[in-house]
Amino acid sequence: MSDILYDQWEPVIGLEIHVQLNTKTKLFSRSLNQFGAEPNTNIDPINTAQPGVLPVLNEEAVKKAIQFGLAIGAQINRFSTFDRKSYFYPDCPRNFQITQFFHPIIQGGTITCDVEGKTKHFKVDRAHLEDDAGMLKHFSSFAGVDYNRAGVPLIEVVSEPMMHSPKDASAYATALKAIMQYLGVADCNMEEGGLRFDVNISVRPKNDKTLRPKVEIKNMNSFHNMELAIESEIRRQIQAYSLNPNEEFAKAIEPGTYRFDLAQRKTVMMRRKEEAHDYRYFHEPDLVPLMIEEKTIELLKNSLPELPHERYLRYTTELKLAPDAAAILINDKYTSDFFEEALSLVKKPSGLCNWLIVEFYGRLKEMGKTLEQSGIKAVHVGHLVQMIEDQVITGKIGKLVADDMLKTPGKDSKDIVKENPSYQPLDDSSIIEPIVDAVLEQNKQSIIDYKAGRNKALAYLVGQVMKETKGKASPAIVNQLILKKIEES
Amino acid sequence: MTPEDGSDVNRLCALCRIQLSSEEKKVIGEHLHKILKYMTFLNEVDTEGVPPCTHLLETMVNVMGKDEEEVSYDREKFLASAPDHVGGMVKVPPVIHFEE
Amino acid sequence: MDNLSAHEITDLFTSNKVSAEEITKSTLERIHKLNPTLNAFLHVFDQRALKQAKRLDEKRAKNEPLGKLAGVPVALKDNMLVNGEIASCASKFLENYTAPYDATVVRLLEEEDAILIGRTNMDEFAMGASGTHSAFGPTKNPWNLDCSPGGSSSGSAAAVSARLCPLALGSDTGGSIRQPSAFTGITGFKPTYGRVSRSGLVAFASSFDQIGPFTRNVKDTALIMEAIGKRCDKDSTSIHSPPNSFDAEMGKSIAGTRFGVPWKFLEKLKGEPRDCFDKSVELIKSLGAEIVNVDLDILKYGIAVYYILTSAEASTNLARFDGIRYGLRSKDAKTLEDIYDYSREEGFGFEVKRRIMLGTFVLSGGFKDAYYEKAAKVRTLIIKNLRLAFEACDLIAMPTSPGSCFPLNGINDPLEEYLQDLYTVAAPIAGLPAISIPNGVSSDKKPFGLQLIGPQMHDAKVLGAAHAIEGALDFPKDPPEGFGGVR
Repeated sequence: MSDILYDQWEPVIGLEIHVQLNTKTKLFSRSLNQFGAEPNTNIDPINTAQPGVLPVLNEEAVKKAIQFGLAIGAQINRFSTFDRKSYFYPDCPRNFQITQFFHPIIQGGTITCDVEGKTKHFKVDRAHLEDDAGMLKHFSSFAGVDYNRAGVPLIEVVSEPMMHSPKDASAYATALKAIMQYLGVADCNMEEGGLRFDVNISVRPKNDKTLRPKVEIKNMNSFHNMELAIESEIRRQIQAYSLNPNEEFAKAIEPGTYRFDLAQRKTVMMRRKEEAHDYRYFHEPDLVPLMIEEKTIELLKNSLPELPHERYLRYTTELKLAPDAAAILINDKYTSDFFEEALSLVKKPSGLCNWLIVEFYGRLKEMGKTLEQSGIKAVHVGHLVQMIEDQVITGKIGKLVADDMLKTPGKDSKDIVKENPSYQPLDDSSIIEPIVDAVLEQNKQSIIDYKAGRNKALAYLVGQVMKETKGKASPAIVNQLILKKIEES
Repeated sequence: MTPEDGSDVNRLCALCRIQLSSEEKKVIGEHLHKILKYMTFLNEVDTEGVPPCTHLLETMVNVMGKDEEEVSYDREKFLASAPDHVGGMVKVPPVIHFEE
Repeated sequence: MDNLSAHEITDLFTSNKVSAEEITKSTLERIHKLNPTLNAFLHVFDQRALKQAKRLDEKRAKNEPLGKLAGVPVALKDNMLVNGEIASCASKFLENYTAPYDATVVRLLEEEDAILIGRTNMDEFAMGASGTHSAFGPTKNPWNLDCSPGGSSSGSAAAVSARLCPLALGSDTGGSIRQPSAFTGITGFKPTYGRVSRSGLVAFASSFDQIGPFTRNVKDTALIMEAIGKRCDKDSTSIHSPPNSFDAEMGKSIAGTRFGVPWKFLEKLKGEPRDCFDKSVELIKSLGAEIVNVDLDILKYGIAVYYILTSAEASTNLARFDGIRYGLRSKDAKTLEDIYDYSREEGFGFEVKRRIMLGTFVLSGGFKDAYYEKAAKVRTLIIKNLRLAFEACDLIAMPTSPGSCFPLNGINDPLEEYLQDLYTVAAPIAGLPAISIPNGVSSDKKPFGLQLIGPQMHDAKVLGAAHAIEGALDFPKDPPEGFGGVR
């Protein structure tokens, strides 16, 4: 990224994120909302647009949308309606989507997140409900249409164009995902299409306030790919403007819809702006308006769970975790809940945090698994950290125990230590004492330093003994013996 | 929209996905021209400050259904109506361009 | 049998005087004999109806409770879905489409033990006022076989008029029940918008469509409305019924009732249609009612409002007919684009294509404000004006149609056909209940209709007044010539 001239050019980025709500049934009909079923087995006459069918709004989807709006401090529009958006495509059974173009249910709102150590507040323009399309599966000589997904409730969240880097965008999207998960309104499983994003992006000279024509990028299927796409597009736009300084903006950068080609690592145009659809939006006559009542909003507001940013603040101010560590923890609800569960067992939250997001995460990454997939239990990790804090085992041994925990998920770390003699701390003073004596003999200066008040010297001495015992000596006993000997000397 | 201006009829055909014959295009073009001309007589009506009618029954709001599964459509029955199907999916020719 | 009304038939059945099987057999015989002349029915449910009849006879024999319409044969317009039966909407597109579920009205009729007798011809996708826009040939008017029975519910109207069955359901979007009723000398009713479920009615214009009955007397109208006028969970625009029943005002005198007549709006009406209407107005006065002048001049914009808005809604409602999941898929189609373009070209008739294109145009970028938005605003004004009119009167009286039935293929100009709806579009624009009762016959033996319109939800009031006026009118009780008793 070092070749992007961020000091001369400012990218202007907006995100449109589609999230599938985890209702039991579809937005306008009552067949199941379930990923992975055999094609066309979760269908009904309404979601396959048979003649004569009518939509009936899912009350749970409305509730979840309101919860999301409240969680981002948005305005819940008391009056909202639905509209038809027309376009022909095989995965769109009615050849119009039912969406909320004119009067969305949610207006405004803020998503707060941590971007490389800085807290940023990104504004949301609006969010609304709409139904998802079916799935088109491409084969060489034909395509197959599966309508299981047609009609699944989506909430589309449109941000203000106020992100200025790939990291901004990815932090925003991560924070949005976390909010959805904490609320329990969506699973946001990207492999299952539970969260999809479109990026709108333009660049302008730094300090310029006007907006240049924007480009829409679709079909990025991971946060990482989104960052790559944004990065490559920023580069492309800067280059285009730089090479053609006198060209009309819309000629230098042709507005339109692009997709990100991962193999080529660049954006490829799909459709020019002029070729854009005429969606012919108009009011959906088969549905009546939503008039959200105050008491509904009050009820939902009072039952909101702790949200990611609230948890982040608690972690940094009360638990004194480092900001970037806290950010990593809260961004995945499962990890954060895991941490919460183990928290009661440990004295130092930062230690537990480190074990989770450095030690365990590192190992899991190599295994290609998530914490949830690993099967290890929060309580057992809590016990591991507890044992290290109580100096029952050393940190070094702890790492071996961690490896074992991942090999035998579900097994308590305490049992692992109990069953493995080589993990047992060496607590036989008769073996340790001579080593302590030898170390003290070789490090007389350290004794003097310690007596002079330098506590670091003690740690050094302990470290030396631990080195000699290959980390197996009980730190408690080593400490005890060294202090005793120093006093005696 | 004029009978001579074929592009309008072509544009409409593309939007509503109907492939009219050139003869039909001519006739429909003329008819539409006539009909739309008639419609402009609505311009006589002063609609300043008048909201467009979006729903007829003012008392009808918040009509929703419970999020509970109801008997769904049997796949066999659904595919029996399909002009072509394969592997449980409705079959169409290969689709070249990407969509939303 | 053929001249019996629905309530007479059900009375005979429930009092054991005749069996459901006899009723059904007699009806089927008559239909098969006379339908070739009229082309009112597209398909007759011989087996299904006889099975239903048998089951009903067994039910009666066991003394089980019987429904309000027990034993009554009812025909359905071909745009209402009957599970397992074809619902073609008189279109090539759906010629072989089998409905996968029952329309709510179908379920309700069967719950009341009606016998579904067949599906009737119509203008394709309910677009038309002549019955000549069917892919399966026009329906003929029993009063004059060279004439149109009106549309779009042409087959249902002709069937009841020719006494092929006592009851039929149609759908009314701009007059498609009332105008054919007037043309065929029978009674047709469009309820308040939302009183009958649209679930299972193939949508034409969602904010205008309503299902309603064709009968030969208002008492039958009230009877069938009790069965089908109910709130439905599958239709979000379906309303709860008011506490009074549809027949609550029947049998009452209309003395003192104020009937509003928009004289200025009607001033261009002349000749026999005008004379017939004026006579009805005198009759109403003679029953003790008051005639009040109301200003509904704004209704002259009704046709423009109606055609812009209904075409717009229809253009999207008919987008699902794309050859992908069901219906006609063109054999010439090679690409996906071909499937859409050719299937819709082959499957839709000319009128349907024209309306879809009109609807697409009025919604398209650059034109939406001038056409769709403008029409929607004028709709608001029409609703307001009607509400104002109802402050001065209880019901509005107008002719149903500017003329009597015209010759088949007598109208070739689209605008001319659209203007047939001049008096009937007001009620669907405002979602109001409206009825047409036959009130006279022209010198060339063509019927006229009188239309009564009530405020929203006042269906009972409309039916009550219609019943009173019907009783005083001198309309022939015999079937049209050539359709007398065949037994």
